[in-house]
Amino acid sequence: MNLWARFRSWTAAILRRTRMEREMDEEMLFHIEAHAANLVSRGVPQQEALRQARLEFGGMETTKEECRDAIGVSFLETLIQDVRHGVRTLLRTPVFTVITVVVLALGIGGNTAIFSVVDAVLLRPLAYRDSGRLVTILMNGEDPVSVANYIDWRDQSHSFVALGAADYWSPNLTGVDSPEHVVGLKVTQGLLPMLGIEPVLGRLFVVGEDKDGADREVILSYRLWQRRFSGDRNVLGKPIVLDGNAYVVVGVMPQGFQFAPFWATRAELWVPNAFGPRIHNRGGNSLRVFGRLKEGVSLTQARAEMSGITAGLEQQYPGTNRYVVVTPLKEKVVGQIETPLLVLLGAVGFVLLITCANVAHMLLARAAARQKEVAVRAALGARRGRIIRQFLTESLLLGGLGGAAGLGLAALATRALIAISPANIPRVQTVTIDLRAALFLFSATILTSVGFGLAPALQASSINVNDSLKEGGRSNSEGISRRRLRGLLVISEFALALMLLIGAGLMIRTFAALQAVDAGFNPHNVISMVVSVAGSKEADPSRRAIFYHQLIERVRSLPGVQAAGAINHLPLAGDLWGWPFVIEGRPKPRPGESPGAVYRMVAPGYFEAMRLPLIRGRYVSEADNVTAPGVVIINERAAKEYWPGEDPIGKRISFDDDKASPPTWLTIIGVAKDAKQDDWAATPSPEVYLAAFQNHDFLGDSGSDLASHVSYMTLVARTAGDPATVAPSMKEATWSFDRNLAISEVVTMDGVVAEANAQPRFEMRLLTIFAAVALILSTVGIYGVISYSASRRTHEIGVRMSLGATRGDVLLLVVRQAMWLALAGSVAGIVGALLLSRLMTKLLYGVQPTDPATFVAVATLLGLVAMLACYIPAWRAMRIDPVAALRCE
Amino acid sequence: MDKQLDLLQGTLDMLILKAISLSPLHGYGILLRIQQMSKERLEIQQGSLYPALYRLEHHGWIASEWGESENKRRARFYRLTAAGKRRLQSESKRWNQMTTVIAGILQATPEEL
Repeated sequence: MNLWARFRSWTAAILRRTRMEREMDEEMLFHIEAHAANLVSRGVPQQEALRQARLEFGGMETTKEECRDAIGVSFLETLIQDVRHGVRTLLRTPVFTVITVVVLALGIGGNTAIFSVVDAVLLRPLAYRDSGRLVTILMNGEDPVSVANYIDWRDQSHSFVALGAADYWSPNLTGVDSPEHVVGLKVTQGLLPMLGIEPVLGRLFVVGEDKDGADREVILSYRLWQRRFSGDRNVLGKPIVLDGNAYVVVGVMPQGFQFAPFWATRAELWVPNAFGPRIHNRGGNSLRVFGRLKEGVSLTQARAEMSGITAGLEQQYPGTNRYVVVTPLKEKVVGQIETPLLVLLGAVGFVLLITCANVAHMLLARAAARQKEVAVRAALGARRGRIIRQFLTESLLLGGLGGAAGLGLAALATRALIAISPANIPRVQTVTIDLRAALFLFSATILTSVGFGLAPALQASSINVNDSLKEGGRSNSEGISRRRLRGLLVISEFALALMLLIGAGLMIRTFAALQAVDAGFNPHNVISMVVSVAGSKEADPSRRAIFYHQLIERVRSLPGVQAAGAINHLPLAGDLWGWPFVIEGRPKPRPGESPGAVYRMVAPGYFEAMRLPLIRGRYVSEADNVTAPGVVIINERAAKEYWPGEDPIGKRISFDDDKASPPTWLTIIGVAKDAKQDDWAATPSPEVYLAAFQNHDFLGDSGSDLASHVSYMTLVARTAGDPATVAPSMKEATWSFDRNLAISEVVTMDGVVAEANAQPRFEMRLLTIFAAVALILSTVGIYGVISYSASRRTHEIGVRMSLGATRGDVLLLVVRQAMWLALAGSVAGIVGALLLSRLMTKLLYGVQPTDPATFVAVATLLGLVAMLACYIPAWRAMRIDPVAALRCE
Repeated sequence: MDKQLDLLQGTLDMLILKAISLSPLHGYGILLRIQQMSKERLEIQQGSLYPALYRLEHHGWIASEWGESENKRRARFYRLTAAGKRRLQSESKRWNQMTTVIAGILQATPEEL
């Protein structure tokens, strides 16, 4: 009510200002006339009455001013005045205004864009109910868990409302249009309800559905529902065919729902996880375990309880429960990307600081030029606060324009960021310029405006009226304090730019080092695709080996294909399985200490197609079939680690746990060069390649734990020309066997390698852009300062020259000033970089955060740029004609 | 007490509210009404009335509209709003308490202390 009244009288005052003034006049005149009439009626003569009434009323102008003050109009009036004046001033120097606004838009817009990414990826809680209480429980904090362990943890722990677990499962969806290989999860019954997200259609799984025989139900993601079933609400209760089995659709999750958030992120369907005989399995690790902390139970308490439980289990079953780690789900999701994003946010913050410094000294120069204007105002009675206010209003105007332009820029930049961001940044698709980003932009704008505007405003307002107004007052060399301030600004700009350049330099070196890494194989001109037999007639154990064999033969004969083979999981792109094994003739290792290796299955031709060379021995051949003795190829690392100083060829190993006796021995027939596994920057671990076509698990024998995990192979073909052009004919070749075969993940090996390096490339690109902007801004900065101060010193230089200084002396005079600034800036920047670059350690590869080469190169570059920037003003100063210089003032 | 009294600081607002609580008035009318109610013993600086009126309106305690005066001239009339009515009540209460307390102090005799 009161607020409303105030608002109304303000708007009235602003919008109907003339009317208000007129009414004020009218009202007071009425008063005076009424009083005069009153006096007349008491016998005072007409003329005298009017005079007396005026006198008794008092000063009308003062009264009116008091009225305006009473409703706060004068504050607004001043503001409007200042804004008008500001706009006029800015319009008078359009080049300055445009440059400043562009610079500010870059700074503010860039910051807003990066902030919106940081906000969406790091700051927001995960999109589950009360997601802060969700945790993961994994071996070493990242590796999967065995079924028996999960069950023991679930039954023994009390810290959690519920524990749930998920297996990766990528079945073939058939029966609707073309077959499709989709990513899904097998989840325990309690897992989805634990997340607290209701389905948009149908229901979640109910108790008992993860029991054997009752597990043929499926919940669809919104996307899959739209894509394959056109959003048909009647899909509920209908069966769909996955890997040849019918599953009834019981629910559809809402749009945007994603689970799991850090692995299998593209999962589009969820089915119950019936453990079956696996409940006794403590060796095969495939489950990711999730939990929700009970209300009032802290992470520390849960960790303590879990370490107690696992210590007990470890005693009971040695080697099965070491290094079990409880991690908050959010940390698990964003942990990898947190440091890089914060480094980028810091870097772009530096850019904003440089922007501020730059605009600040442009404004300082302007303020100096406007000394007379300020002096006149001060002489006419403007108080200091009033002058500061006017300058700040101008800064806010500039900042506001910059912010508005920055908003547009941020919207574009965010889109670009999403486009170039690596696929492993979680939630990056949800990045938008929303209210939070807008608020950030608004506060950044205000802070920036005050930041760059305050110093010039204080400087401008602290002038000596007498000196400035003196007729013919000379524009001498600048005052000490002002020069010091400008110097300080340039030094900090330089220091900040240097730090950014060092950051960018380190990332460029990192990226170069990564590019130089030897993958082991040759990724150029290789195309790959996953071909899954699940749900087709080729899935039959008797057909599988024959089918893939024939398929590879057919691909090999395609035009443009030089070599072809297959592997279950493509390096860098596919899944990574690890398995313990035993070595023939060695004492049985203590539990949990068996030799282990990355475990892949290959079809003949794989090594040749990938150009993964053998160090020794022979490749897997067609002769290594199901009737022949089992063979394996190991990598160099495995040879060094497990057969140091021995020739591993001819030695035998077995992957059976103690179940089979006698064990199935596999003979080592070759040692291959180390190939990259899942992490481009990591040294490969020991690796073993089995011959797929003689492996019972792969061939789909019933009773195999792996049955559903081995129904696919990744075809690999080396091509003569552009590998992508061969993809269509490879697909056709596949479908010529059976239209029900699902093809997915069609990628070139070069693409896979690029994807593996996507994150460092992203970081390098952004840091380089920021550093380039910083370099340009600080160049402009040092140029501005030097040329300004040189022009202010024209008179001084004239005096020096007439006293005998040579042009060389003048050049030195100007350059020396610039070099001092650059040197001071570089020193400060190097110290800062030494302190800060450690924060980047996690982003770097093959280069130290204090890499001397980078530091020297960057400092030299900046020094050169500073030279260049002061060349023009120095040249100009050299050409000063002393006579003209002394006369012109 | 024939001499006219100067207005106590801050009391003008209250008097204005009181004056127009009886009926809407224009500025000059308010002045006359206050003088009449005070039996001509209060001296009000005429110009000072208007800033007070603007302030009261800005707070939403009074509202104004243009109307016709008794001698057929256009004049701005002020009336009390609901918020103004509440304000007048609380102000009068405060004033009465204050005068009682101060009167009590001024009438105190040495014997009472």
